[in-house]
Amino acid sequence: MVNFTIDEIHDLMKQRANIRNMSVIAHVDHGKSTLSDSLVQHAGIIAAAKAGDARYMDTRKDEQERGITIKSTAISLYAKMKDEDVKDIVQEGDAKDAAPVGNDFLINLIDSPGHVDFSSEVTAALRVTDGALVVVDVIEGASVQTETVLRQALGERIKPVLCINKVDRALLELQMGKEDLYNAFRKVVEDINVIISTYQDKTQKDWQVNPEAGTVCFAAALHGWGFTLRQFAQRYATKFGVKQEKMMERLWGDNFFNPKTKKWTKNSTDADGNQLDRAFNMFVLDPVFKMFDCIMKERHDEAFGMAEKLSLKLASDEKEQKGKALLKTIMRKFLPAADALLEMMVLHLPSPLVAQKYRAETLYEGPHDDEAYVGIRDCAADGPLMLYVSKMVPTSERGRFYAFGRVFSGTVKSGLKVRIQGPNYVPGKKEDLFVKSIQRTVLMMGRATEPIENVPAGNIVGLVGVDQFLLKSGTLTTSETAHNLKVMKFSVSPVVQRAVEVKNGADLPKLVEGLKRLSKSDPCVMVYTSDSGEHVIAGAGELHLEICLKDLEEDHAGVPLRISDPVVQYRETVTKESSMTALSKSPNKHNRLYLTAQPMDDELAKDIESGKVNSKDDFKTRGRLLADEYGWDITEARKIWCFGPDGSGANLLVDTTKAVQYLNEIKDSVVSGFQWASREGPIAEEPMRSCRFNVLDVTLHADAIHRGGGQIIPTARRVLYAALLLGDPTLQEPVYLVDIQVPESAMGGIYGVLTRRNGHVFGEEQRPGTPLFNIKAYLPVKDSFGFVADLRAATSGQAFSQLVFDHWQPLTMGTISDPTTPSGKIVLEMRKRKGLKPEVPLYTDYYDKL
Amino acid sequence: MVVWKDAFRVKSREQIWVCASPSIRCWELKLDKLNSDQGMPDVDETNEIKSQSVIAERELVESNSDTILHDAASKDIAFLVVGDPFGATTHSDLLIRARERKIPVRTIHNASIMNAVGACGLQLYNFGQTVSMVFFTDNWKPSSFYDRIKENADIGLHTLILLDIKVKEQSDENLARGRKIYEPPRYMTVAQCAQQMLMTEESRGEAVYRKDSLAIGIARLGSENQTIVVGTLEELASSDLGPPLHSLVLIGRKIHELEITFIRDFAIDPESFDKAVSGGLYDHRS
Repeated sequence: MVNFTIDEIHDLMKQRANIRNMSVIAHVDHGKSTLSDSLVQHAGIIAAAKAGDARYMDTRKDEQERGITIKSTAISLYAKMKDEDVKDIVQEGDAKDAAPVGNDFLINLIDSPGHVDFSSEVTAALRVTDGALVVVDVIEGASVQTETVLRQALGERIKPVLCINKVDRALLELQMGKEDLYNAFRKVVEDINVIISTYQDKTQKDWQVNPEAGTVCFAAALHGWGFTLRQFAQRYATKFGVKQEKMMERLWGDNFFNPKTKKWTKNSTDADGNQLDRAFNMFVLDPVFKMFDCIMKERHDEAFGMAEKLSLKLASDEKEQKGKALLKTIMRKFLPAADALLEMMVLHLPSPLVAQKYRAETLYEGPHDDEAYVGIRDCAADGPLMLYVSKMVPTSERGRFYAFGRVFSGTVKSGLKVRIQGPNYVPGKKEDLFVKSIQRTVLMMGRATEPIENVPAGNIVGLVGVDQFLLKSGTLTTSETAHNLKVMKFSVSPVVQRAVEVKNGADLPKLVEGLKRLSKSDPCVMVYTSDSGEHVIAGAGELHLEICLKDLEEDHAGVPLRISDPVVQYRETVTKESSMTALSKSPNKHNRLYLTAQPMDDELAKDIESGKVNSKDDFKTRGRLLADEYGWDITEARKIWCFGPDGSGANLLVDTTKAVQYLNEIKDSVVSGFQWASREGPIAEEPMRSCRFNVLDVTLHADAIHRGGGQIIPTARRVLYAALLLGDPTLQEPVYLVDIQVPESAMGGIYGVLTRRNGHVFGEEQRPGTPLFNIKAYLPVKDSFGFVADLRAATSGQAFSQLVFDHWQPLTMGTISDPTTPSGKIVLEMRKRKGLKPEVPLYTDYYDKL
Repeated sequence: MVVWKDAFRVKSREQIWVCASPSIRCWELKLDKLNSDQGMPDVDETNEIKSQSVIAERELVESNSDTILHDAASKDIAFLVVGDPFGATTHSDLLIRARERKIPVRTIHNASIMNAVGACGLQLYNFGQTVSMVFFTDNWKPSSFYDRIKENADIGLHTLILLDIKVKEQSDENLARGRKIYEPPRYMTVAQCAQQMLMTEESRGEAVYRKDSLAIGIARLGSENQTIVVGTLEELASSDLGPPLHSLVLIGRKIHELEITFIRDFAIDPESFDKAVSGGLYDHRS
């Protein structure tokens, strides 16, 4: 059933203005994969009958079974547009060659998971696309996850369009009236626009979605139908003799039509005070409602009559169908979902040529005038290769992966020798850099791959032969001077961890190898070996870990495993400025470091974690931002030595010394000590967070040999520990935001479960027109294990919940050093587990007297 | 220097001499053994004393010096070092701590590169501040030595440059991660030092010295196969003085005629030596 060949696609790949790279994003179970299916069906890959329940994009067995998407999947589609559609294409910017050539379009579609635990997959998908199709269930409305992924999309400068899904449920299950349905639609559009205006890059053009602009589509994905106002406006424009754009405006909002006077008005009543029908209800919803009514009440002849009027051809066996099956057949012919979606995407989403112009500056780490930047900005197929690998996709061959990514500049082809730059690559240095040839380039097609000779700028590609050289993601280039494409920031952090060990000692090498593969195949999972030799896997949530461990046991390692109970990661922080200046002397006693710690503004810590304040930013711009937004002293803000841990975490080391000789010669050593200390704090060897350390003064031996790394690094660590312990230290625990959807009847059970688990409800809202309630609560991660099952039991399976990491919160119950209090108990258990001595060290353990 | 190769000898109860060895060693001496024998210990005793000795590495001396001092309350402890106890700076802290605990300390002085360097022919009076040269890494190239050479050069003095030795040291990464994995020992050579000096001159560009500035390379000073060579920095940068340990002396502007006569014999290339000496860099009458 394939109606396009690889050669046709390859030809299209060169027409940069005719390409759309887009991801489908939404809350879990709002119908993304089903919607993607109707698109795949349109491009002719699977038989029409199966669309809607084939879940073509869910490639894994467990995905099909659970009915959720776990891994994002890419596919290229081919679409032919009508002439009148092509001329309506809206493209921003002033690119002269931005106009499409011909009527053939290439759409690279990525379906991504909706469950929050797999948000990192969404991040990886967003990076390689320019547009996002946001799918929202009309009944459930925009949820936390919708907001999370949309925020990420906007941060990457991805233009959104909206698809309001499950209109069929509103009609059949809830029996909504026209005006109720209109209001439900309007509420979704408004909610989405609030999110867009909150998180949108203010330097960009307004990206709000509007039905009258054609950037909103209404659909029933399961039934395979959907529409935009533009399609209806086209039908009516000739009838009313007005322009199509004018008609579209009239079909939304407070526009009413008086059938008696044949006049348009803004008032909902006519001169005599009679209620008028909203134009949207009258012209758009009415035909749909009528059709539903006729078929569901089995007035088939009437329905066939309507179908004929709409010049829809029905085969005789199709006429035999009844109820929903017939409804599906007719509606699909009347308003095919794929047509509406394709039209919206082609018309309103940017081509790579347009998108890369404004995305280049947020994508590229290097200067904004070098050849790599220019290549990205112009989406130049003949420029230097700039390719971002956003994730690794397992191949059929065990342990090998396709590197999945986007060509931003140049052309990638088999045999091309490229520089593979990992996330820690620094221009001019040799770390994290490999120069290798690409073995093969392939096109990713859902479950299958197709070999392709080369792939030019603006397209999505799979590569064979680079997986050994990259851990998870990275930049591929042919330019020797190119900097990296910016590393992705994930909205989720690995806050839950479990330790694994093999049941049979002889299997250990397989486990080690399996862990390596697991780490590669998932963008967010963290795998490490603790000092006590434990293999630890950290993930975004219980479900994420469960899937990872299943993959590990059954696939990557393939050996039986023993898995520990889940454990929460904490952060060590200070609550006050150090009560006195911490001092440590180097082992040879000739160098002294004086430091204080102070808590950092929590907003700043969050902004560092989200990447808004970045260690790689220009220090002057960053200094200005810190001074303006967080009230830092501008001179100090410019003298940040480093971020940590790992050079990017939310702790800062600031040089506040005055005229110290040779300070620069020990800077690297102090920074190394800081990275070490911030990775493993003194309280329980957990990472530090939200701490600012000020280097106040330093006395040094005059001779460089007596102040090398061996002297300074351990000293820096000691003094940092002392400063932290002097600053009223505490732990921060991760807290989930819980979003629960529940019918009113089952609400009672929820509160009980939440209270037992120290949850704190802060929002309760009824979805208009439905018996559903949305409850929002904060729940400490440590109390969340088994929450979903517990909730299911308490509500007889009627509540649906999502847990997403939201923030860090200090432990307040007692003190960390007193094991008789809850906080102290947590610390004690952690220290025991890690094989440390049970008492929390005192500052005097690290402090040297003058 | 009074040094026995690979052996030690107790001349009297207080005086112990030990052969030059790269690490610091510490002997805990049993008083009764030494009391019973007024003279030198015989071979058996030597071995026994040796077997009771503890090798005190950097970590023990710097971070755990209290364990050394702890026993000193009840018995005599001999702490044996390479070179003079005050030649390097590391031991002053041990003395301060001993003083705090009211432990009497006697020091027996020894020869050190600081005075033995006179063997190269330059007069000790004419030396300025001593500096050390560390191994440069990709991102750590401390150039503070350059400032101190400049100070010496400004008043025309020679500079003794001590070269980095890395014995039982952790790499920065292992240090930062707290892993006690030690690097293989490394000793800087005269050639490496000359290269790093020229590299620094190139980056700092304050003309403190030049490619044709004269310097003396000294290797294994005090041993039977000690080597001393004189040449321009450029010549030394490609020289090979054999196994460690090496030191380097940068010759000051006010070099004396006698010194010139003495060192000319060590010249790698007498012709270029004469050229450098009379090239205007050095003020001497000849």
